Amino acid sequence: MAVDMTMPILVVDDYKTMIRIIRNLLKQIGFENVDEAADGQEAYAKMQENKYGLVISDWNMEPMTGYELLQKVRADESMKATPFIMVTAESKTENVVAAKRAGVNNYIVKPFNAGTLKSKMSAVLGDF
Amino acid sequence: MPAANVAAQVRTSLASLKASDLQDAQIMEVLKLAHQLTDTMKLFFSSLDQSICQEFNYIADYISRTRDEIAALRPNDIKTSRIPSAGQELEAVVGDTERATETIMSEAEAVLCDDEADYDAYRANVEARMMTIIEACSFQDLAGQRVSKVVTSLRHVENRVSRFAEVMGVRDADQVVEETAEDKRNREQLLNGPAIGGPETSQDDIDAMFADAAPASDLDQGSIDSLFD
Repeated sequence: MAVDMTMPILVVDDYKTMIRIIRNLLKQIGFENVDEAADGQEAYAKMQENKYGLVISDWNMEPMTGYELLQKVRADESMKATPFIMVTAESKTENVVAAKRAGVNNYIVKPFNAGTLKSKMSAVLGDF
Repeated sequence: MPAANVAAQVRTSLASLKASDLQDAQIMEVLKLAHQLTDTMKLFFSSLDQSICQEFNYIADYISRTRDEIAALRPNDIKTSRIPSAGQELEAVVGDTERATETIMSEAEAVLCDDEADYDAYRANVEARMMTIIEACSFQDLAGQRVSKVVTSLRHVENRVSRFAEVMGVRDADQVVEETAEDKRNREQLLNGPAIGGPETSQDDIDAMFADAAPASDLDQGSIDSLFD
């Protein structure tokens, strides 16, 4: 099935510049319907109101981390199937293993480029 | 005479006094014993005073040395000058990098959105924006200098504290430090922060972890059975 290039994507990061970078990369890849949240709490509230085709989240945020958001999303029937990619500077193996156990679909370690983002999105959503 | 020896002598004198037959005692013998005891007690108290005096002198020296070492540590200089100055420098670095990033991002975004219809105008516009980006990169020089100052300050504090610890023979306490709420959150949420010198686990290794595990969870019974055919 072809990937819907108009699907809404939620980018979660407490660093405005990183959101801006990801927005630009997504735009270059072809996704322009991008929403944003500054932490897990705000993202979870937005996810209760809107349905997103993909969540791209940082890990280290206040007050709710990306890891907590992932756990909440996977425990919530209404959004548990939403694809979730973690984009973070947390690069310890224990972090990757914990995220995988919690149900993350893919994991990108910062710094990253458009090619990495695109390949991980393809792995999760299918080729586009 | 050491205090322990004097005490032993006092005990001997008292024992001797108790053992004497005071019913029949000659006054000279009693006086002799009393004199012997007084001499011994005098020796005991003088040695006792001397050892206490030595202890107090040692403590006084130690306090004086500690005071000198604390003064050499210059805690007021560290508290009122070095640390606040380092904090200000780091804040300035954050501000400089934010402003530079904002400029670079804005110019790059503007280039991406530029109208290419008029090639000459487009080219001139791109060149002007590239120059602005190059100028904005000068923040790195300032940031480098500021960070160097912070590193120098931290080394200064480190040297003073380690010298103080060495001279005073300070050792780390053995007791377990109680975990703060922040420490607990960091531990539970696996908040380790960026690794020094690049990611601890490379993107390739992470990809391998996802690639290895994916088929196992996706295999149905038919696929598993086919592996044993």
